[in-house]
Amino acid sequence: MENSRKEKIRAYLLDNLKQQGDKHPLNDNDSLFVSGRLDSVSMMMLVVYLENEFAVNFKATDFEVSLVDSVDVIASLIASQVSA
Amino acid sequence: MRAFWAIEDKPSVVAWAQTRAGKCALLLLAFLLLCTTEAWQEAMFYVIAMGLFAYYPPWRNIVFFVSTYTVAFFFSTASINDAIGEVALTEGLVALSPEVLAYIALVVFSLMAWGLMAYARSHKQSLLARRPVLYLLGLECLLCLLSYKGIFSGHVRLALWSLLCVLTPYFWFLAYALVDQRSKDRSSDLFQLATFHPAWGGSSSSPIGKGAAYLRKVFAKTPEELAITQIKAVKLLVWAKVLSITRMLLTWLCISYLHIPTVSEAMDASLQNHAYSLGMEWASLIWSVVAYSLKVAIYGHFAVGAGRLAGFRLPRLSWRPLESRTLIDYFNRFHYYFKELLVDFFFIPTFFSVFKKHPRLRLFFATFMAAGVGNALFHFMSEIELLETMGLWGMVETFHSYLFYALVLATGIGISQVRANAGYKPSTSLGGRIQSFFVVWGFVTLLHIFGDESRNHSLLERMHYLASMFEWF
Repeated sequence: MENSRKEKIRAYLLDNLKQQGDKHPLNDNDSLFVSGRLDSVSMMMLVVYLENEFAVNFKATDFEVSLVDSVDVIASLIASQVSA
Repeated sequence: MRAFWAIEDKPSVVAWAQTRAGKCALLLLAFLLLCTTEAWQEAMFYVIAMGLFAYYPPWRNIVFFVSTYTVAFFFSTASINDAIGEVALTEGLVALSPEVLAYIALVVFSLMAWGLMAYARSHKQSLLARRPVLYLLGLECLLCLLSYKGIFSGHVRLALWSLLCVLTPYFWFLAYALVDQRSKDRSSDLFQLATFHPAWGGSSSSPIGKGAAYLRKVFAKTPEELAITQIKAVKLLVWAKVLSITRMLLTWLCISYLHIPTVSEAMDASLQNHAYSLGMEWASLIWSVVAYSLKVAIYGHFAVGAGRLAGFRLPRLSWRPLESRTLIDYFNRFHYYFKELLVDFFFIPTFFSVFKKHPRLRLFFATFMAAGVGNALFHFMSEIELLETMGLWGMVETFHSYLFYALVLATGIGISQVRANAGYKPSTSLGGRIQSFFVVWGFVTLLHIFGDESRNHSLLERMHYLASMFEWF
């Protein structure tokens, strides 16, 4: 289950990176936003995607870049919301 | 050529950059490049400060703090001094030096910022901690009101005005520091204060390198990363110099040789019925957009280059804006740090607060709040000194044109954002790229008539001028 989620997230992110001219490989623990590979507009697009695709619920005051900075942490975030 | 230019990918070069000779050579090159735009003493100061920061970890916070405040006290307070001097003159307090008043106001502001950070840290549910921009806007408005003509007079008014003149250029830096107070791994107060107009950022009110939270995350973690970052710093400084020479040549060609007027001059001539030829009016507009874009890129590359020299892996301020394929792409590429500021303080809070059940409207409105409202507010505040010479109404009245510019730009960017989210992708063929270039830059160029911040012409005059360029009048 988690692997298929990761696959989906990875595919979405790779598409985003490709659009920005980044053709480097993406490891599950690679930083996306803090490292500057993707910018904050892409981050918000990711938030929309996660809300629509995985029903993740973000709260404005609790939102931090670190919540969505790599495939691993995104997968953990989804898993924590599913289990809750 | 690309392979040659990508020298940071070569292990031998990276290894050399970590040796004593390599470090000295990189710093020397950076000094020589910075010397071409700054006085040699300033360039020397920047390079030494950045070098000490990069190579002496135990001194980092102190070096950062001292370099920031040295720049604040010795290199750049001219516009603040002028604004303070204006009120000192009005209040008949000419014996007081505006420079000294600015220094005192800066010390008071820094102590106030320190206090606010401590408060936000200990009161995490307070308005200051949860909505720092709203709180600071309230403070800014209060200072505007209290220092307005007729409320207070003499020393009290001058003191309030001086504090306002210092708070305004530090507004967004303080906002970033306050946001960071909620983080578990926040930086020390000394580091936070050091990020308020860091030595590399010049006088821009838009924080290059954002705040402490971002800087500590992008700092090079290993000697190899540091070497690569510093090589990239020197490369960016070289590119800035190339652009700077290009601008110099183009300025000579357009102004001294072709005698192309500024947009403001062309508009004046048109309004007085002595219009330049249509070709000259278009040349004036295009040259103005080119000159402005070059100015932003050159300033940004020098600033980011200097920041990278200290070891911060900062993204470029301006990244190939001519390759923008959509308006949202242009927004991302033209001024990275201004866009980040708007996203951090306007887009994200709006996005998480409104229209949750209407995804497209939510996205459009959040983008509009950032590129329109945030953009207009930032520019209105950045000229707060006009409050004294124009009064509040005069300031608002002459701001109509920029407001129109921001709202049209925001609508365009908002629509572009919604389309991108719906899956629209412009063609990548040569024809598609050329079409994208003309659509994006055509829009930006036409809108530039309204975005000129000179405040010399009304919105109606600018609209009339635009229409005359298409011979509609």
